Amino acid sequence: MGTAIVVTSGKGGVGKTTSTANIGTALALLGKSVCLIDADIGLRNLDVVMGLENRIIYDIVDVANGECRLEQALIKDKRFERLMVLPASQTKDKTALQPGAVRKIVQNLKAQFDFVFIDCPAGIEHGFRVAVAGADQAIVVTTPETASVRDADRVIGLLEQEDLQSPKLVINRIRPRMVKEGDMLDVDEIVQVLAIDLLGVVPDDEVVIKNNIKGEPTVMRPDTKAAMAYRNIARRILGDSVPLMPLDDQPGFWSRVRRLMGGKR
Amino acid sequence: MAVLDNATQRPEVRPPVSVKGVNDGLLFLLDEQCAHEVLRAFLQELLFDNPSPLLSGPQINVSVDYGQREMTPEQNIELMRLFLQKENFTIREWSSRTMARQALFAKPQRNARPQYIHRGTVRAGQQVYYDGDVVVVGDVNPGGEIAATGDIFVFGRLRGIAHAGVRGNTQSIIAAAEFSPMQLRIAGTLTRVPEARGQAQSAFMEFAYLCEEGMAVDKLQYLFAIRPKKVGH
Repeated sequence: MGTAIVVTSGKGGVGKTTSTANIGTALALLGKSVCLIDADIGLRNLDVVMGLENRIIYDIVDVANGECRLEQALIKDKRFERLMVLPASQTKDKTALQPGAVRKIVQNLKAQFDFVFIDCPAGIEHGFRVAVAGADQAIVVTTPETASVRDADRVIGLLEQEDLQSPKLVINRIRPRMVKEGDMLDVDEIVQVLAIDLLGVVPDDEVVIKNNIKGEPTVMRPDTKAAMAYRNIARRILGDSVPLMPLDDQPGFWSRVRRLMGGKR
Repeated sequence: MAVLDNATQRPEVRPPVSVKGVNDGLLFLLDEQCAHEVLRAFLQELLFDNPSPLLSGPQINVSVDYGQREMTPEQNIELMRLFLQKENFTIREWSSRTMARQALFAKPQRNARPQYIHRGTVRAGQQVYYDGDVVVVGDVNPGGEIAATGDIFVFGRLRGIAHAGVRGNTQSIIAAAEFSPMQLRIAGTLTRVPEARGQAQSAFMEFAYLCEEGMAVDKLQYLFAIRPKKVGH
């Protein structure tokens, strides 16, 4: 029996879908079987980020309505045999799914996969309640901005009401330089306010956006910090204790020379 | 003479047995420290050489509480025999935690207002409302809201909204271990804390109250100087 984890945030645009795709792919890299569910009905994009959009025939709404079997709707990833995506419908709207139907689908998938990730839509209404219906655990994604932290706080409260105790926190798109200069909330401050366990900190990286457009999860490229951060998150989910990696760039040779000469970086 | 007697009787020289009247009988509280002989002798005298009608009158329910006192089974039986010899005693309880004793100490205090203790963080969008005083053991995050008809105490960081005395009690106060609220409301008065305060963290608990000039914030140790009526219960 696998574990179902909902990835949620409240606020839109903080990186739920990117995090779902990358954490899921990272777990597949570590040899786990993973299914990613896109629960954002009407605004599907998990398939785009995974580069699988032109393979969709059936979607989660079809499965819920009994128009196809669950296996028919699952799309196999290009890179990993044991990584599947269950896409959202683009034509229906959010009310097309009911919590009970999703709970049943998630139960079925848990029997076949080690991990089932549910990509939750933004907001806290019907779509949110549908997405959290079958989940055993929750990951809350936030960015180091006040509005995003506020929404994450609200969502944690709602998750606790739904009996999803002790959600885990991913702080996404952090910019070490801005934090250092005090223009961005720092990790400690966010963790203090939200008072939940920190699962990982992902630095802001343009590569992530480029890869999303290309339809290739960033974790496939281990040379970026964001990729390493997502891989570390996957290992922490498996129970390894991986220390947080240092985020600020090591000063390079030339910047050190420049500093020695008395110039600014 | 009587005054002198009282003066010499220091509080720590307590008799080894204290007798309390409880709802439906008598509660004997045995001292936890004193020697067994002392206790037995005292009980002997109390139970058999005492002319008090209460101890030798009509049938009465008796609870005996020996608390944390350590006794051998023999000592225990020896004491129990003394009580059993009293024909008008109906022994209901003989234990280290009698119901009678618990009822005695849990007696609700007079004029005490109902209190609600909220354990855990009050998060954005959550509202806690209570008719009485509210104690929050945890933080109140930005966007979280506490409303009480009485006082509000936050053992944590108050960063959300607190409204004390929602039904118009201007004597209500709001106290917090760390005071950086979005808004404070007491009865009908509302204030916003200056933004600059956000960073200055103080190491002591503070409370907000209403005075003639409006809302004021002071250290918690001045609470009973400013609101003397809150002393007591």
